[in-house]
Amino acid sequence: MDDDLVFKALADPSRRLLLDRLFERDGRTLGELESQLEMTRFGVMKHLKVLEQAGLVVPRRQGREKLHFLNPVPIRQIHDRWIDKYRAHEVSALLDLKTSLEDSA
Amino acid sequence: MTTMTANTTQVYQLYIRATPEQVWDAITNPETIARYFHGAQIDPGPLEVGAPRRSWSPDRTQLWGDNTILECDPPRRYVHTWRSLYDAEMAAEDESRVTWEIEPAEGGTSRLTLIHDRLEGAPKTAASVVGWTYILSNLKTLLETGEPFAAAE
Repeated sequence: MDDDLVFKALADPSRRLLLDRLFERDGRTLGELESQLEMTRFGVMKHLKVLEQAGLVVPRRQGREKLHFLNPVPIRQIHDRWIDKYRAHEVSALLDLKTSLEDSA
Repeated sequence: MTTMTANTTQVYQLYIRATPEQVWDAITNPETIARYFHGAQIDPGPLEVGAPRRSWSPDRTQLWGDNTILECDPPRRYVHTWRSLYDAEMAAEDESRVTWEIEPAEGGTSRLTLIHDRLEGAPKTAASVVGWTYILSNLKTLLETGEPFAAAE
């Protein structure tokens, strides 16, 4: 997975909205996604392509239809790599602050 | 936590720096599975359609899954039934299905796609299977570094 592609994909509000729509109900066609958003078909296609390149959306053929699925694995990897670490750091920084404030009181 | 029902087809995909044969071994070899899947112990047995795929807790006292192989096409496609027996409510739900697809990809990697579907009659299981992200990340780390990132739980 390429972190840059994932962060770039997540940096756009329309693409985050698409992910939220798929989170609510997964496995949707382009037509369904288009009807849910105030966006042209071309716009939805363009955003889906960026999400697919980042691995956040996986297209799968089902009969005649192409369905789009949300893939949570890259988000998990971002979480493990970038969020967990700093959350632990933040908690310990707050604890240090509490200790120093209480000690000086 | 929302009241929304979980999706009945869920797709998980990742790229692993390994050959399709190595990924195939990782998803079918009981010794490897134990290293990234909560220490699960899979009964050794033939990899063929109709054969059982039985998994136990690390100490082999609790049956975690008593599933059946539905398709077996090494090193590309492996399909088996799924029912979580470690939880009474999930054990009472309908059987669902897990499909593993392995495809060679660019740069000496393999693309692994896991589809967990037929979850219509298994809402509690459907809400829990996002845990595949943890399992698959662990599998990737094991194949790429030789060690899982977390000790087996």
